Amino acid sequence: MSATDLTSDHFQRLQSGAVVAQTARPSLSYWADAWRRLRGNPRAMVSMSLIVFLLAFVSIGPSLWRVDPAAQDLDQIGIGPGADRRVTLAEPFQQWQPSIQDIALADNPLGFTLAMPANTQAVRLIWSEQLAQQQQQPRYRLYRNLFAPSDTGSFGLPLAVVDRSWFEDRLDLQPGTYYYTLVALDADGAATANAVTQTVDVIRVISIAEARQRGLLDAEETAELGQSLELAWHPLGTDYLGRDMLARLMYGGQVSLFIGIFAPLAFVLLGVIYGSVSGFLGGVTDQAMMRFADFVVALPFLLFMILFKVIFGIGPGESGIWPMLVAMIILLWPAPARLVRGQILQIREEGYVSASRLLGGTTSYVVGRHMLPNTLGVILVTMTFQVPSAIFTEAFLSFIGMGVAPPTPSWGAMCNEGIKSMLTRPHELLFPAMLISVTVLAFNLLGDGLRDALDARMRGSE
Amino acid sequence: MLALTENTSPNRQLAKFFIIAFAGVAALMLTLHYAGRTLSGGSSDVSAVDEAANSISILLRDEPPQLDSSRATDAISGMVLGHVMEGLVRMGLDSRLEGAVAKDWEVTPTKATFWLRDNAKWNDGEPVTAADFIFAWQTALKPETASEYAFLLFAIKNAEAVNKGALPASALGVSASDPYTLVIELERPVPFFDKMLVFPTFYPIREDFYEATNGRFGADADQLLYNGPFQISRWVHGSSMTFERNPHFWNQDEIHLDTIHVPYITSDGTASLNFFKDGRIASTGLQAENLTEAMRMGWQIRQHRDGTVFFLEFNHRPGRLTDNLNLRRAVQAALDMEEMVYKVTKLPGYEPGVSLFPGWLMGVSAPLREEHPPQKVVPNLAAAKDHLAAAMQELNLSEPPQLVLLAGDNPISNIQSEWVQQSLKAKLGIDVKIDKQIFKQRLAKMTSGDFDLVLAGWGPDYNDPLTFGDLFASWNKNNRGRYNSPALDALIEIAQTRLEPAVRMRAFGDIQQHLIENAVLLPMYERGVTYVVDPRIRQLKRRVIGPDPDVSRAYIDTSGE
Repeated sequence: MSATDLTSDHFQRLQSGAVVAQTARPSLSYWADAWRRLRGNPRAMVSMSLIVFLLAFVSIGPSLWRVDPAAQDLDQIGIGPGADRRVTLAEPFQQWQPSIQDIALADNPLGFTLAMPANTQAVRLIWSEQLAQQQQQPRYRLYRNLFAPSDTGSFGLPLAVVDRSWFEDRLDLQPGTYYYTLVALDADGAATANAVTQTVDVIRVISIAEARQRGLLDAEETAELGQSLELAWHPLGTDYLGRDMLARLMYGGQVSLFIGIFAPLAFVLLGVIYGSVSGFLGGVTDQAMMRFADFVVALPFLLFMILFKVIFGIGPGESGIWPMLVAMIILLWPAPARLVRGQILQIREEGYVSASRLLGGTTSYVVGRHMLPNTLGVILVTMTFQVPSAIFTEAFLSFIGMGVAPPTPSWGAMCNEGIKSMLTRPHELLFPAMLISVTVLAFNLLGDGLRDALDARMRGSE
Repeated sequence: MLALTENTSPNRQLAKFFIIAFAGVAALMLTLHYAGRTLSGGSSDVSAVDEAANSISILLRDEPPQLDSSRATDAISGMVLGHVMEGLVRMGLDSRLEGAVAKDWEVTPTKATFWLRDNAKWNDGEPVTAADFIFAWQTALKPETASEYAFLLFAIKNAEAVNKGALPASALGVSASDPYTLVIELERPVPFFDKMLVFPTFYPIREDFYEATNGRFGADADQLLYNGPFQISRWVHGSSMTFERNPHFWNQDEIHLDTIHVPYITSDGTASLNFFKDGRIASTGLQAENLTEAMRMGWQIRQHRDGTVFFLEFNHRPGRLTDNLNLRRAVQAALDMEEMVYKVTKLPGYEPGVSLFPGWLMGVSAPLREEHPPQKVVPNLAAAKDHLAAAMQELNLSEPPQLVLLAGDNPISNIQSEWVQQSLKAKLGIDVKIDKQIFKQRLAKMTSGDFDLVLAGWGPDYNDPLTFGDLFASWNKNNRGRYNSPALDALIEIAQTRLEPAVRMRAFGDIQQHLIENAVLLPMYERGVTYVVDPRIRQLKRRVIGPDPDVSRAYIDTSGE
């Protein structure tokens, strides 16, 4: 090897800022690339906008739709969306005792008639004693039917057995047509063939005082009887106690989404820290930590939920949301911890990690630059999949009465109430169930999209 | 085109998978269904009415905890025992008292004598004798039996002392002058003593059989000896029961059915309605949600007032907020029970509560409430607010108090407690927390006094106003709010001990007035039951007192009407 004859002339200083090569596209950071791919996934984008919409619905919604979710509108119980709200002003309800004139009304061929126009306050019926089967102790049974009586001998709901010749019906009167049937009874109380039916059209009424109290009429506004008004508007109908469904869905969503987002955030974070420490340290520590995680998996969730309720001093009739949150955080972290540990163990042996180490990368640099970004996809996906499962857990616990306390609504509790009247008033079950389904589906699809977008090995691909 | 075929092939595969999975699941379900039917002995195959087998099927809401008549407390046990046992007397189909094991009887202020019929037999053919009644009553009173209904027997001489353990069971004032004559000495005059005897606690128990069961008496179908019209031939705990006609029953002419099946035990109203629709059970109760459907189906809907009164009871223990009269009056004036019954509960047959004494109780010659009409409480918001202000001053409160409402965990009481909660919040600003508990837990909390308000009910044990009248006596264990008023106690003493009906009824009128004036409790409603029965079944009897429903005398109408 001859002595070097390199001189300084052989070297030339590069001009700083000189363009060496032109890149065709701007360089993409990891996040920008992931975002680009996510944007290209229409399902994920629709889901994301749905989630944003749901969050706005429960957070901004209540300040736009200012209706107390606990207020009971007993005139509009269980009405569906878009129900008829017209109401007529009438005299306030008063006890009724038939007068001579009323009794004279019954003197018609049918012998069974209305004593005064029927409305939702009361239907007042009066009849002639000629209808009685036996004159000494006249007794009648009165029926009410929603359907025109057929020849099956069914007259509908038995309202009462009376021994006078008038009756006032106040039971759950809704605007519409009713068929009242009067059956004379014999001495043993058995029905006889003596039956007359009267068709009655009921209109909805409200007294002026009630209308003012509910804000349907201003204090100064003059009103006269017979004037038509509109009752409070319930865009999505009301529940079994006349509470506004829209307001309840908004307030109920706060509870459901709070649990659905905070619980997974907390326990996935816990799991990530635990899992990465365990995976990174490896060996005996790893073994010990993972056996502890196995132990936690075996703990029964419901039992702990009840225990926390007791420890927290949550009395009867108080919300069980906080113990639910704590129980979820304490018991559900092992699943993400195992997942992350597995990832870390795998990445630890990768060539690029060894390379980074050989080139002098410190532990924090290796973890921060190589390990976490490569597990991030798994972590985010786990979290989005845990959100629906947390919402379901809340729904289930409220369903069995361990969650929110009345009158606070939650979507799960609303389903629980709605299922009882599923056939007659489906909207009470349908709306909360739909919101739960949409939320769960949106988070699932977004999780799906995120998994594809965040996968580091798919960088740069479409 | 190529792309298209490539796309369809995974879809086709998916469809294939789907069909295979579907077929697999369907096959599995069918297999399990048939396996289940074979294993359960085909009890789910019975129909509501089987004319050939002369049998009907009914449903029980719950399983009886056990069937030892000396310890039975609940309505379900009462219903089952009423079909398989018979006491000295029973309520007839016309709701009047009639002789059962006793063919005749006589009650005087000092003693009661019952003459038993000699053809009344146990289901092993042995005669039912006076000794069987004496043994049953002594057993019920023994302190170690811990019968909750022992107090019903306290009218008998020395019964209370026996129950407390002060005297041996043999000291009880009952004797048999011969096997068919039962003589009962009374502690004090009880004008309605014979009416009390329809209660299961008074049913007979045969000593040799009781001893042979080694403490398992009434725990299973074969651990019980029957003297009623039916006997339990099969009892699968938690699932089904079968009653068969008792061939040794003395009054075969009145009994028409050969078998009563209880294929289902469930408290689920929807399930019950579906079983009825499918023709699997002969009768079902109806909830407010089912009424429209029942009308559409054209069923003959029936109604029955079951005699139970429901009320909001206050906790009167010293130191409780609800011990304050003004607070109770405020709640009384704020709640509109008519609104609750007509708009919230919405069931026909429910009557807004006006008194602790239900409308069906008889006074001297007319219903008690007609002879002594209760003072009407008219809801009045202004008065309620005045009372609340006074209460807050007396209690040194700066804002309306918080109250805990103890309630049962069933749909009707959920709706009612939420209505109470919102009414008090909206009208008076009182915050109410709802403490939902299952029946047993609610009872435990009521007994320990862990509540301010409780939704409670009381059904009659015997046909006399006293069954309601003594409820708030300071010594009554069922006075869960521990109301204690010497004035009320004095009135109850009169009703318990005096014999003249007019004096007693006036006392009940005064008790009623005292309870309303002092807002001791707020009557909410009298319960009605709306139900449907298969039209082929006759003489299915619903009762206020005695087994309800009673199908022991029912028969199948085969006329095809």
